[in-house]
Amino acid sequence: MTVLASEPTRKTSTATQKSYLCNGNEAVARAILDIGYDAEGYYPITPSSDVGEAISKAYADGETDLAFIVGTSELAALGICTGVAVAGGRAVDVTSSQGLLLKAEQMPAISGLGLPMVLNLATRDVNAPLNIKNGHSDLYATLGWGWLIFMAPTVQAAYDMNIVAIRVAEAVNLPAIVAYDGFYTSHANRRISVFANRDDVQRFVGPAPFVKTLRGENGRFSLLDVQHPRTFGPYMNDDLINSKVQMDLKFERARAMLPEVFAEFERLSGRRYGFVEQYGDREAERCLVALNTAGEAAKDAVDALAEKGEPVNLVVPMVLRPWPEEEVVKAIGDAKRIVVAERASQYGAGNYLANEIGAGLQRHKNSATIIQRTYGIGGLNFTSDDALAMYELAKVWPKLSDPNERQVKWYYGAWPGDESYKPDQTLVPLTAEQCTLNAGKDGKVNLRDLSLMPNRFDKHSACPGCGIFTTLNLFLRGIDGQVVFLFNTGCGMVVTTGYPLTSFKVPYFHNLFHNASSTATGVVEMVKRFKARGELPEDVTVIAVTGDGGNDIGMDQVIGCALRNDPFILFEYDNKGYMNTGSQLCYTGFKAQRNSNAHLGPRQKGKMTHHKDIIEILRGTFAPYLATVSESHATDMIRKARKAQQTVREGGFAFVKAISVCPLNWGMDEHVGPSAVEAIVNACLHPLYEVEHGITRITVDADKGGRKIPVTEAFRKMGGAYRHLLTPEFEPLVREVQEEVDRRWQRLKAMAEHDLL
Amino acid sequence: MVGYELPFRDELGFCNVLMSALGGDGANMAAKLLFKVGCEELGLDGGYDAKYGSEKKGTPTDVSVRFCEPGTLVRQVGPTTRPHILVVSHADLIRPLELNRGLRAGATCIVNTVKAPGAIRDELCLHSGKIVCVDATRIAFETKSRLNMPLLGVLAHELRFPDEAMRARIARQWPRVAEANLAACSGALTSMTAMEFGEDSYPFLPPLVTRGPIGWRNMLNGGTIDALTHTTAGRDNRLAGRGKVPEFHPESCTSCGICLTVCSDPGGLLWREGRMVGIDDRFCKGCMRCVEVCPETKKGKALTWVGVEVES
Repeated sequence: MTVLASEPTRKTSTATQKSYLCNGNEAVARAILDIGYDAEGYYPITPSSDVGEAISKAYADGETDLAFIVGTSELAALGICTGVAVAGGRAVDVTSSQGLLLKAEQMPAISGLGLPMVLNLATRDVNAPLNIKNGHSDLYATLGWGWLIFMAPTVQAAYDMNIVAIRVAEAVNLPAIVAYDGFYTSHANRRISVFANRDDVQRFVGPAPFVKTLRGENGRFSLLDVQHPRTFGPYMNDDLINSKVQMDLKFERARAMLPEVFAEFERLSGRRYGFVEQYGDREAERCLVALNTAGEAAKDAVDALAEKGEPVNLVVPMVLRPWPEEEVVKAIGDAKRIVVAERASQYGAGNYLANEIGAGLQRHKNSATIIQRTYGIGGLNFTSDDALAMYELAKVWPKLSDPNERQVKWYYGAWPGDESYKPDQTLVPLTAEQCTLNAGKDGKVNLRDLSLMPNRFDKHSACPGCGIFTTLNLFLRGIDGQVVFLFNTGCGMVVTTGYPLTSFKVPYFHNLFHNASSTATGVVEMVKRFKARGELPEDVTVIAVTGDGGNDIGMDQVIGCALRNDPFILFEYDNKGYMNTGSQLCYTGFKAQRNSNAHLGPRQKGKMTHHKDIIEILRGTFAPYLATVSESHATDMIRKARKAQQTVREGGFAFVKAISVCPLNWGMDEHVGPSAVEAIVNACLHPLYEVEHGITRITVDADKGGRKIPVTEAFRKMGGAYRHLLTPEFEPLVREVQEEVDRRWQRLKAMAEHDLL
Repeated sequence: MVGYELPFRDELGFCNVLMSALGGDGANMAAKLLFKVGCEELGLDGGYDAKYGSEKKGTPTDVSVRFCEPGTLVRQVGPTTRPHILVVSHADLIRPLELNRGLRAGATCIVNTVKAPGAIRDELCLHSGKIVCVDATRIAFETKSRLNMPLLGVLAHELRFPDEAMRARIARQWPRVAEANLAACSGALTSMTAMEFGEDSYPFLPPLVTRGPIGWRNMLNGGTIDALTHTTAGRDNRLAGRGKVPEFHPESCTSCGICLTVCSDPGGLLWREGRMVGIDDRFCKGCMRCVEVCPETKKGKALTWVGVEVES
């Protein structure tokens, strides 16, 4: 009963296929295009981001008419998909790790409401300290959320399972996850077979569902049916338990139909899939159970052992929900010693898959021993050599010298460390005296004196010429005394704290993605409390640092901090994109600028909306201090830093936004940064001003001294990513940008002139 | 393609290539192109996997290409740890990254360097195999191409890929710079020096397994880092900076402080008691922002740069 899923089969297929070189993300994108979705809700997160980038490129090129909508967060992206689905459209989304967890609120709602869609999950470990590499803890979080879960161990399977998933999802009115390993599959380039004609795929999955949904012919209904109004998502009391029963019955329907769907897919493609892939000898004493790429890699180990006359068995579950207990138990066969290797751990308890398999074996009166190993977390690969180690473990366990290895559950690849390791002290902590320049005296700023301010951070691994540390360090030269940093996720965080070293000489905390501002609130509340009790002697200035992306996904939290008037400085480095994740668009970007998910093509000309003005958004909070700064105007920045610190010391919230170049993603020479930001300021793309409790003051007036330049002059300086804006083709769009920039500049000046604004 | 045979094959049938480079070198692009040529022009199969993290420009990265005959099942993932062919974009990566680890006996190592194969052999402590030295930095500079092109040219040659297939693909992939790229490839092939070494001096070393002194027994609560003992102060940024830092001329310097305001690696400019005194080349990554803003005085600019990248 060897099932050769995801391996090239030589059988004939009914559909014409062609060879395609791609990575896992591109394979998923290809499947999305072949299936024909109505919409993709999107928010970037490594390692799944490229799927949306490829779809957005296809949209720009006119290859698809699907609505590609970039949300302000993962939750927003899935909310968009929910809207698409309840309207009757076919929706798809992609995500990884904490991105998935941010969607968590919406996930069980989608299954509970019976809305079919597909969520592609390029698996990545969920963690802190942050690691962006592989792990299945994101996948495991979804096990009880009422989603069908299909596994894709290879690039080929990532393509194929998407096609199977939407077919089953729409048949049983449940959403489906297709899980493929982050990096190991998402970024692995392989030769795969794809259908040459989209019609073949679309015949398999069925037509776009809207018309049938509108007519109520597929068990679902459309919110847009005004002839027959229905209420979706009501408030429900005791009846809810019946909705749960309904969900379980849907999984049983899926279980019943899957063999035929897989068989039909095999007839179409020549590739056979099933609930479980069993490889090797079912009568063998030893068995390894592993998911996705680890299972695939283990096949070579099975072959090697077979060659040595040591038959072993391998079981790779391909469907996790509905859980194929019968098939798994059958596939495990006669094995007496089973290693269940998992890319996650259920801390303080047996692991997920191991528990489920154990329960299944017990129900089948099978008393085989299960050994649990957590492997391959956060960048540790799993190769055939590792699979051999697992088979060896199955043979010798528990006769091992290391008591940890004798445990049923342990970690494969972890190391204890050297407890005698006592490194020398290399940092003398900064004192408040050292960091005090008697700032703000008469408002005078002397650049030479600024050299006396010690740097709060040491070497970092940012690209040469990066704007982040230029602007941040200059700003810090205006901040006296002790500083505590809170960072959002982004380049600024990634390049400073690669374990076990830190660039920071002062206390620093990176919390997830967009949470630094609220985290700062918690910290400053404790500063107030502990100081009032006399338990904290030092005065500290709390500075939260974020990229512009952090203030897209975290805008609500920033508004909350401003409305509460929490006494910390929020410093934003705005480099016009999600640069750490791969140059995706941020709402701060200029209209028509190019991003990896806002392409240039016949249908689309880059970013479709004008740049966000966060100061105007925050103006409505009447926070005491809002300002924009630029490294090109150093004394202006220092004055504003000092004002921001004064504001915080007086108990108020201060927001400071800096323009920050990204030589890498802007495609500019590293040394050009200073003149580029000066041009950006002079073009009023980033005017320098401050708003004190609603009152506007322009601190650098581009109109004075004839400094104001057309936006094109700034774009010219900003590097290759902006060069297209200088071509005749983009002239109308650039004119629009110029008009909008001028309009905003005039508004700003009008406000500055008015006593009350 | 009829007649083509892989120069190496491991127990699973794969020829494993590892390219070690810095972010921004174009190793990914080169590897991807090589993979396409192998699969689409020569009919091979295989995989192209990279070590992805958050590599920034100037930070070490690697990409891995493995080729096999069609029909061989491609099941392993991730970069190879046991390369047959190693491509080193910068010779000074060899020691800190221990690039000799895991190299197979008889491996081919293509190294961007001005040194001779004998000297590189000793740096690599190569067990046995062939060292191919090529001054890719100079060739790229002279042909106005990129560092990845001369190295790709030599790599394709060592893989015995037909020259025309490679050149046609390079020209097609980057039509606007085809001439420069092809000149870089040719220049590399005519100027490279190669030498074979037997099993006479160095032991075979297994793949590198990184296990730091901090593990689950002594990691601080929640993975906290103790800054008193673990700052980046001891790090050497010369790898990222490629040895190019501004030249400082103290006689022209008024310590105006403008350079301080634009430095993207604060600490690279050495100031003592309010005066600019020099450049810390272990800190500075050579972005030359300070050179851009340094004002012209009667005695010229205090910070200058000749503008030629020199292999350290």
